[in-house]
Amino acid sequence: MDAALAATGIAKAYGGVTALAGADLTLRAGSVHALLGENGAGKSTLIKIITGAVFPDGGSLLMDGAETRFSSTAHAAANGVAVVSQELNQFPDLDVLANLFPMREPTRGPLLRRAEMLALARPVLRQLGVDVNPRRRLGTLSLAQRQLVEIAKALIVRPKVLILDEPTSALDPASSARLLEILRVLRDRRVAVVFVSHLLEEVLSLCDEITVLRDGRTVLAGRPRAELAIGDIVHAMLGSLPPVATRGTRRGVDAFGVELVDVSVPDRLSGVSLGGGRGEIVGLAGLAGSGHTTVLEVIAGLRRPSHGTVRLPDGRAAPRDFRAAIRAGVALVSGDRRRVGLMLDKPIWENTAQVASVALGRGGGLLRVGPLRAAARELVDRVRVRPATVDTRAGLLSGGNQQKVVLAKWLAADPSVLLLDDPTRGVDLGAKAEIHALLRAIADAGAAVLLCSTDLDELGAVCDRVLVFHRGSVCAELTGDSIDQHTILHTMNTGVVEV
Amino acid sequence: MTTQLHEQASSTDDQRRRNAVLGLATRAVRAESSSVLAATVLLVLVIGALRPAFFSVGQLRDVLNSSVYVALLAAGMSFLLSMREIDLSVGSIFGLSLISTALLMRGGVSPWLAGALGVLLGGVLGLVNAVVVHYIAIPAFVATLATMQLYRGLAVALGNGQQVTGLPLDDSFFTVLGGTELGLPVSVWVLIAVTLLLTGLLRFTPFGYRVRSIGSNPDAAAFSGISIAGTRTKVLVLMGAVGGLAGVLGLAFFTSGDPNIGTGFELQAIAAAVIGGTPLRGGTATVFGAVFGAILLGVVSSGLVFFSIPANWSSFATGLVVLLAVAVDSVLRSRRRARESAFGL
Repeated sequence: MDAALAATGIAKAYGGVTALAGADLTLRAGSVHALLGENGAGKSTLIKIITGAVFPDGGSLLMDGAETRFSSTAHAAANGVAVVSQELNQFPDLDVLANLFPMREPTRGPLLRRAEMLALARPVLRQLGVDVNPRRRLGTLSLAQRQLVEIAKALIVRPKVLILDEPTSALDPASSARLLEILRVLRDRRVAVVFVSHLLEEVLSLCDEITVLRDGRTVLAGRPRAELAIGDIVHAMLGSLPPVATRGTRRGVDAFGVELVDVSVPDRLSGVSLGGGRGEIVGLAGLAGSGHTTVLEVIAGLRRPSHGTVRLPDGRAAPRDFRAAIRAGVALVSGDRRRVGLMLDKPIWENTAQVASVALGRGGGLLRVGPLRAAARELVDRVRVRPATVDTRAGLLSGGNQQKVVLAKWLAADPSVLLLDDPTRGVDLGAKAEIHALLRAIADAGAAVLLCSTDLDELGAVCDRVLVFHRGSVCAELTGDSIDQHTILHTMNTGVVEV
Repeated sequence: MTTQLHEQASSTDDQRRRNAVLGLATRAVRAESSSVLAATVLLVLVIGALRPAFFSVGQLRDVLNSSVYVALLAAGMSFLLSMREIDLSVGSIFGLSLISTALLMRGGVSPWLAGALGVLLGGVLGLVNAVVVHYIAIPAFVATLATMQLYRGLAVALGNGQQVTGLPLDDSFFTVLGGTELGLPVSVWVLIAVTLLLTGLLRFTPFGYRVRSIGSNPDAAAFSGISIAGTRTKVLVLMGAVGGLAGVLGLAFFTSGDPNIGTGFELQAIAAAVIGGTPLRGGTATVFGAVFGAILLGVVSSGLVFFSIPANWSSFATGLVVLLAVAVDSVLRSRRRARESAFGL
């Protein structure tokens, strides 16, 4: 059967880092193709190359049998490649119709041809089952309907290849059924669909073929889904790893750590009980929306549980709000350091002073630059920021160093509970290892550390225990040698520990 | 590894020593307010060269004296701008405080007490702004656009649309606050004191750091445990109190209350703060710069008189000068930024 798009031997390196080293992907018209891989396996780079956002270093791209090279996303779009991304790039204040034709409205002179737009849009919307007036303001639609509008937008240009990037979230039971219907429409329209998802169960139930990338190479090339089970896919994604190195003996765990008893949050958590002792690093694993990050929000006072009790170390009661949590010794480090972690236009020393001296006022009523810089210098040495100056603007640091500055600013407040949400996102390997060592040191100093991460390797490398979340509750607790990527990935996708 | 660390440490030591030597000189030159100071001096020199009469002590003192009110408002405004907020009602707070103080005096309240109540009223008006912003959940821009009209309307209504006169002008309130000490008008001394106080507040207290933190990155500030609403409330109250103080000083100098006084001061104060080097995007502020920005505006408007620019063109000329000042400053700033980035990388 003819390939709608065939990518062979695609290679791409960023600086010295190889993202793709000869990846293959063959898409057939009318077939739904799942593209899977761990973080850093090269999925997003491959997608970017197919959509023209990134130019490959090597390899060939054939579309309908003809050699092509996309010089830009516009070029790729003109050749029939469309993307529906997880972030909805929409204009909520405009009507549905205007959202369907961004930058390519049919016009007559300076005027829009709304009637023609309507005629083009109606059949696509009907096919997708979007039963709304196209003149309605987009912002008044439900999230599901807005997603459908996004897909309709992609379909109006009659693409040959459609990329669906993470189209569903885990906890929405209706979404899979809806997606099934959409995929049926797409198959009818003979579109070659690429489906990128973390949800292996969903992938298995919806897709026709599966390609798995690992370390920039295709390790499973377009196999029919009927031939595969979740175990096979997990194995392909992770490869055969060497057995986990034996862990050092763990410190004795202090009983008075952070504790959740029977905590529920509507649509997020149902009756979760867990604890993290002082000196212990507890990993929280799960698919997006499975509730593991909600645990962090509850402890940080960002979200109030509808039921259950939360206790901070030494038996202190749950914080009323986020600021009370910080005063009580909770620290929250997000991987989104540029948005919520740092003041990019300020020097390092102002960033490290932000929690303890500025927000909590622990430095007294008068703050002088000298002592603040001295304190910053100490912290910078401790977390090994390079270059080791405190006057560099945070925005000029590398990702790894920025994340170390975020850790430093919380270290200055001497937290008893450290909550981390994907702390090494986009951080290079060297800095990652240093951050991991730092986490261990913080735990050893007596903090309870809770770590959410999409990087399974990281969970395996630093955690004493890993709690796996599935649909709002803890489905497994992994300890010691049972913490390995295979088990975590399998468990968070199925809710059952593999036997 | 250890030698490397050692080298690193000694090099930073060297750097520190060098910095300490150069520190004061470079800091003076690099200060955000330096360009506005230079521009003000330059403008005074140019006007003085062309019209020597401008150089008289009395004339320069008049320029300073007339700039005090906008300068005070600009000093407060620099706090708001640096946390990405704005207060359009300051001109009206100035006017309403002035009128209320005058009315209290005419009603028999002791002038000093009335003055203190005028400052307090300014703070209360600022608090009203903060409450509106917080509980109706609208941006300060919109809230103060409305309260600007409210406060002004109140001033006009209270004054019955007329000048408030018949004040006890021989009271020490008028002779001291409206007088001159050590060669400078007392209101200028007050301005100097307030400038130093607010600079200290901005540079050396957690509150000042919070204000600039919020302007730099509101999300990061909130995620560091800084209360944005609390800080904004304090800044709006501070702004109101400073506006009230300006009104009381104005009354002492003008000796009567005009309900429309201070109309348009809010825009002048914002312009002064921006000319002075406090960017609208927030994150940094300079109280000195804002004050000098206001003085620059004062120099411009009195300079125009000296060049006998027709009164009908003075507004146009002022606008032109403001545009020029901001443009030059912006060019210099972007160059400096580019140079810093080159070093940083």
